[in-house]
Amino acid sequence: MVTIRNLHFAYRHKPVFTGLSLDLAPGHIYGLLGRNGTGKSTLLRSIGGFLFPQQGEIGVMGYSPRKRQPAFLQRVFLLPEDFYLPPMLLQRWLKINSALYPRFSGEQFKKAAAGFDVPKDGRLDQLSYGQRKKLLICFALATNANVLLLDEPTNGLDIVSKGQFRKVLAGAMDEDRCIVISTHQIKDLENLIDRVTMIDEGRIIFDQTIDMITERLVFRISYDPEETERAIYSEESFRGSALILPNTEGEASRPDLEMLYKAVMLHGGQVNKLFSQKSKR
Amino acid sequence: MNQAADTNQFFSYSRWKRLIALHWEGNKKRYLLAIPAIAALILTWETFLLLMSNYNPLDDGLQAFTYYWGLGIVGCLYSSTIFAELGNQRQGIAWLSAPASAFEKLLCGLLFSTLLGFIVFTIAFYLADIPMVEIGNSVMARQHRVWPGGYPIGPNPIWRFWRGLPGDEMDQRIHTVLVLYFILQGAFALGSVYFKRLAFLKTLVTVLVFILAFIALQKEVVENLLPQGWHVMPPIQDWITRDDSLRVRTIRLSPWVGGPLGLLLLLGIPPVFWIATYFRIKEKEV
Repeated sequence: MVTIRNLHFAYRHKPVFTGLSLDLAPGHIYGLLGRNGTGKSTLLRSIGGFLFPQQGEIGVMGYSPRKRQPAFLQRVFLLPEDFYLPPMLLQRWLKINSALYPRFSGEQFKKAAAGFDVPKDGRLDQLSYGQRKKLLICFALATNANVLLLDEPTNGLDIVSKGQFRKVLAGAMDEDRCIVISTHQIKDLENLIDRVTMIDEGRIIFDQTIDMITERLVFRISYDPEETERAIYSEESFRGSALILPNTEGEASRPDLEMLYKAVMLHGGQVNKLFSQKSKR
Repeated sequence: MNQAADTNQFFSYSRWKRLIALHWEGNKKRYLLAIPAIAALILTWETFLLLMSNYNPLDDGLQAFTYYWGLGIVGCLYSSTIFAELGNQRQGIAWLSAPASAFEKLLCGLLFSTLLGFIVFTIAFYLADIPMVEIGNSVMARQHRVWPGGYPIGPNPIWRFWRGLPGDEMDQRIHTVLVLYFILQGAFALGSVYFKRLAFLKTLVTVLVFILAFIALQKEVVENLLPQGWHVMPPIQDWITRDDSLRVRTIRLSPWVGGPLGLLLLLGIPPVFWIATYFRIKEKEV
């Protein structure tokens, strides 16, 4: 669905990508993780056609994003972290803006808006940041765009809204759609994303499905010093040591993506080695 | 679901119509306020003229002066903002992500800045000018104002922009000033895509630099190619010299060649700016 090959991009004197390659398949919700300034937003904007590769290629469902053809813009929706809504009535905006998306479904919008407690009317410039963000998320889902690029979507949402966000997004997922979520708030999306892509210094340093992660790694709290010694990554907590261990016994556990992220950042080679081995199942 | 998708990726009338609706809805307050605001400015200016002049303050020459200068300033200021959202990351992404082609976006911008901007200014001008000329005429009639030679000052007609600049035959034939306005306006529209900030000032400086460079080119390069004593007269097609008895000799293209060629050159410049704006929109990154 999205193919990136040998992407090079730099802001004036600051290189961001130096040969990044990545494939994004339909039917997945990707969590794009990385430190500040590692190029997450740049990657989303490059896929969306707002930044152009200086070298390499990006293909999205057969379209070249840099051409920004109307058919492409109808199928790829970018929700930036810092977004703009014009100062007009909500219903008017909805009516006019939705007319530009041939696959927009009013029913889907209503359903998502109901699940998200989005105001039904009023002026857009009088809504709070969180309300405007929720409105735009509902709109994005209702456009039936095949590729949804969400940059820090849970920033500015309250605790209840974050839960609603997970529910609404999970409900909108289907086999023809690919959702990429760039975030720092890994905990907000832990039960939502089914593939984790970590990016650092313009390179993909980790890219695995949640299924594969649970197959190869086990996340556990332990008091056993020997086990702690064997861990790929450990963190002290008041309940004991939170560990990431190689999953040698096929044990089921719930992945802690924040810990996994730290593990990859500190011991990337060791973690990736476990994933390069053939499956034992 | 909405209607079927338009298959033409370059231009679709229905898509363009929707884009216009979106632009109008987001900017209508500004546009609707523009008419009374411009009319009020012209009203103030013409009142000032009426109070300051003892003779004939609102003759057709001053009306034309007010119209053209007003149109130039307002039109260029507005044009320098027409694609200004591209200088802002938030608004730029929102604008570029609207599912319409770069051509449709250009046409939408040109419709508002070039065509509707011109119409709105003209309406605002006449809203102020017609009553002011009437007031001026009644004041003059009451005060029996006369020219210094003793001739009475007659009532002023309302100047009609489509008749061109009073006393200028060439402008009355081909509307040179209006064409020059559309050239400048096109340059400012391009400037609004090209410059991220202070587009008006930067475009103004760039236009002035180009004009100065053009004059310098004529003086320093073209004149050096001519025989000794010959000069180039603006824009470029007339060569002029004075012989020993100070008689002026001119070489120029015949009017039936020079006229249409000059007009073609003038009319050809705005589309050049529009095409450049189109490619700039296409290649714009935010």
